[in-house]
Amino acid sequence: MPRGSRTDSRTDLLIAAACVLASLSLLILPDGPRDRTAGAIRGTVVAPLAAMQQRAALARRSFVSHDSVVAIADSVLRRSQRLDELEAENGRLRGILGLGRALRWGFVPAEALVGRGLGDDHTLVLSAGERAGVERLAAVVSADGLVGMVQHVDARTSVAITWPHPEFRVSATSADGSAFGIVSAHAGDGAEGFLLELRGVPFRQKLAVGTLVVSSGLGGVYPRGIPIGTVMDELGPEGGWERTYLLKPAVRPADVTSVLVLRPDRGGEGVESVWTPSRDSLAVRRP
Amino acid sequence: MNSSRSLVVAVLVLALVALHYTLRPMLDLRANVDFLVIAVLVVAVRVRPGAAALVGFLIGVIADALTPEAFGAGALAMTLVGFAASELKATFFADNVLLNAVFVFVGKVAVDVVFLLAEGRLGGLALVSQLLLWTPLAALVTAVVGLAVMALVRPSLERRRA
Repeated sequence: MPRGSRTDSRTDLLIAAACVLASLSLLILPDGPRDRTAGAIRGTVVAPLAAMQQRAALARRSFVSHDSVVAIADSVLRRSQRLDELEAENGRLRGILGLGRALRWGFVPAEALVGRGLGDDHTLVLSAGERAGVERLAAVVSADGLVGMVQHVDARTSVAITWPHPEFRVSATSADGSAFGIVSAHAGDGAEGFLLELRGVPFRQKLAVGTLVVSSGLGGVYPRGIPIGTVMDELGPEGGWERTYLLKPAVRPADVTSVLVLRPDRGGEGVESVWTPSRDSLAVRRP
Repeated sequence: MNSSRSLVVAVLVLALVALHYTLRPMLDLRANVDFLVIAVLVVAVRVRPGAAALVGFLIGVIADALTPEAFGAGALAMTLVGFAASELKATFFADNVLLNAVFVFVGKVAVDVVFLLAEGRLGGLALVSQLLLWTPLAALVTAVVGLAVMALVRPSLERRRA
């Protein structure tokens, strides 16, 4: 073996031996110096590598947990959607409580029982009946306005017709009392089937769009001042002596869950101060 | 080794070290690929044993810094394997890709054996299962990846040699 090669081999061996000795020294270091040495290397040379490792671990974790995160997000979304329903329900209950406070006396609170079948679109089964003081032909109201009228009374429940019912009629007037007429369900197709119409308004009485229409109190069934709807448009003239207006109802029967049934003596006392018009002419209760 | 080949090898080693700290944690396998062993062996077959031992020591210290409980064990294992690989490569092996894969397999097993014995954390059945099951599996995965790496860089290195 040439001398140079032998020297190189010896150098290699010395370097390797030095590295082995250094490794063994690191192995037998006490905890304190060992941690300080490792920490110094981690804080300098290895810092970028440690950062890369951390990011890789996070990436893997997010990849692995993606499905469960999506499932959690879906659950939260579903809960939040239910929360909207609960908030709306809460708002309706607050409204009915506020209406009860405003009426003070002479009413029977009732729940509109859910699970109504097809063909029952025009009626509501109420959870209060004769024993609770509900009488036939009593007005059924909600915080937004007129819902309908009690048609049939049992001992514990009662059945009310709502304003989309073909036989529903209510004598109505504009909020300022300048025009009178009869409100009934509008016999339109599609979305127009969910509207009301005010008939028999004298030709000289012109109502502006947005005018609030309330019950007039004539006829003795509905006390004066219950919001019915707001004027949306004027329908074509009928014979030139009267006007007919299309109304946006104050109450959507589909949203009705809690109602108040007015007793006849309370109706006689008047409810004009209970509902007051808001800015957009939709009916709201007085707090 | 000329300067251009040295540059290619240096870039390859850096890439392997980076992969060890990015791809490996993402895979998170019990029998995971050891890019550091591949890096040490890639260097070891192209430099003198002393330099291979030094590179192995440095890479081992870097690995140990993230596992302070076994600080020094990885450096010792990499030093010994780097030195031995360089000696054995010069003595026995030609530049053959398949032999290199076997070389990587043996190198990974040797690193694990030295590391586990020097660290002294595992014992009994855990040590046996690690050495007889997980270490060979990890060595197999490492050898396959090492083979792929060699196949990828060999044309570049051969071109520069020519």
